[in-house]
Amino acid sequence: MSCIRANWITLVLAAFALFLALEPWPFASPVRTADPIAAWATDPTPVRQPGLKPRYVAAGFVYRCSDCHMILPPPAEAASRLTQHTEVVLEHGINTRCFNCHHPTRRDFFVDDFGRPIPWDQPQLLCAKCHGPVYRDWQHGAHGRVNGYWDTAQGSPSRLRCIHCHDPHTPPFPALRPAPGPQTLRMGPAVQGDHGHGPLRIHASGREPSQGH
Amino acid sequence: MTESQSHSEAAGPEAMSRRGFLAKGVAALAGASAVAAALSPLRDLDPDDLPTAEEFLQKHYKEMTAADRERVFERIREEVERRHGVTPHLTDPPPMDGVEFVYGLNLSRCIGCRKCVHACVKENNPSRSPEIQYIRVLEMAKGSIDVETSNHHYDPETVPKPDKYYMPVQCHQCAKPPCVKVCPVEATWQEPDGITVIDYDWCIGCRYCEAACPYWARRFNFAEPQIPEGELNPDMAYLSNRPRQKGTMEKCTFCLHRTRVGKLPACLEVCPTGSRKFGNVLDPNSDVHYILKHKRVYVFKEDVGTLPRFFYYFDERGSRYHEPIAPETPEGGA
Repeated sequence: MSCIRANWITLVLAAFALFLALEPWPFASPVRTADPIAAWATDPTPVRQPGLKPRYVAAGFVYRCSDCHMILPPPAEAASRLTQHTEVVLEHGINTRCFNCHHPTRRDFFVDDFGRPIPWDQPQLLCAKCHGPVYRDWQHGAHGRVNGYWDTAQGSPSRLRCIHCHDPHTPPFPALRPAPGPQTLRMGPAVQGDHGHGPLRIHASGREPSQGH
Repeated sequence: MTESQSHSEAAGPEAMSRRGFLAKGVAALAGASAVAAALSPLRDLDPDDLPTAEEFLQKHYKEMTAADRERVFERIREEVERRHGVTPHLTDPPPMDGVEFVYGLNLSRCIGCRKCVHACVKENNPSRSPEIQYIRVLEMAKGSIDVETSNHHYDPETVPKPDKYYMPVQCHQCAKPPCVKVCPVEATWQEPDGITVIDYDWCIGCRYCEAACPYWARRFNFAEPQIPEGELNPDMAYLSNRPRQKGTMEKCTFCLHRTRVGKLPACLEVCPTGSRKFGNVLDPNSDVHYILKHKRVYVFKEDVGTLPRFFYYFDERGSRYHEPIAPETPEGGA
């Protein structure tokens, strides 16, 4: 009797194995298909492309700064409203005066601490008037972008200047759109409201980092 | 006892002829179908994925002679051309004399835009599906260095958020790499210029190194790596970004196919803020030499004793976004 029962079990198992071999549920990968990398996410172009020349564009024409300013006498420095260059938004902290940076008489130049001109293509000398530590770091390559080659024997590095990243009139580095986040197997999918997802998560509720235990 | 034994022996052959035969036959059928079911994934096997005899007998990278290497590189070139339709420029740049690479990352300037993550993917040919990325950018609360409360899935409209700072983490190219120590087959080792590399053809995929790494820097190919057509970077090296196979580990190599010929890594080239710094620390005129000598430097998980070659550094307090320096609150200290 037990032998017959065992046979039935074997038969059921055999049928089940056959059933599985026919793939009733075809394999569906849990892995997401990849989105192509957006071109903007890997674009190394600097955030600004300054001309490094004393040029002003108005109504489609390009002028040297001195084109106008040699004819028109420089207006006296005043906190009053500008009639020209109204597009300039000056949000540079306590630096609210045009002639702190621009040369009062020689308009194709900036001005240094002693009233001497600084060429337009050397803006770092102007910025260094106030931003000493940053200028020091920039000179040694610890601040700002250096691209190309680390080994000067094999190629020349290109060092960007202050205004390739900072708008001199509104200097904070612009906020950028972040590139897409990870969807990797190890880092897991994004979970709404989950702060610190994954195996690094130890505590059920988020610890307050400011409490400093 | 003897009687019953002899009885069953006597009855045995007669039972075999019917019931016993059926039982054994069904059992054999079940066994055969189970084997068939177990082997059914083989139907999907691509003969191209099977290693050739030459591939199977290939030696460890360090044991190959120059002729061996040339033969192996020729095979890899053919393979890449057959599978990806691109003629690769496969090189094997040796470490340079008197060079030790060091990476610096300015935490005061990083805005967390993740461009480095994607430039790295574009450069290094990791799998796109399942996704593998070498760099992980952590969004951290200002005033905290607790990575347990960090978030790598942040997705605001724009970065940086005013109450956060951002800390990209990738391979630290440790001077005492625990990943190398645990490898049972010596498939990963530290090169003289400080870069820890992997011979992808020697790796057995045990993932011990992944578990040993305190920085989460190693990635495993759980599935056959998928790279869309036209996205393969043909400029590749044997020890860095040549296409990997399923079941192998991979990691950041400081883009050694670029950096060993004097160029800068891809993550640095794309960084819009200039937070990333790279160079030869043995050269007293290099950027990284200046940073280590003069800036405030933070070594991530310094207490685990891995001696990383990846250093986070800071600028002077309050220099970012012209933040006002807040006066110390009376209860804030201690």
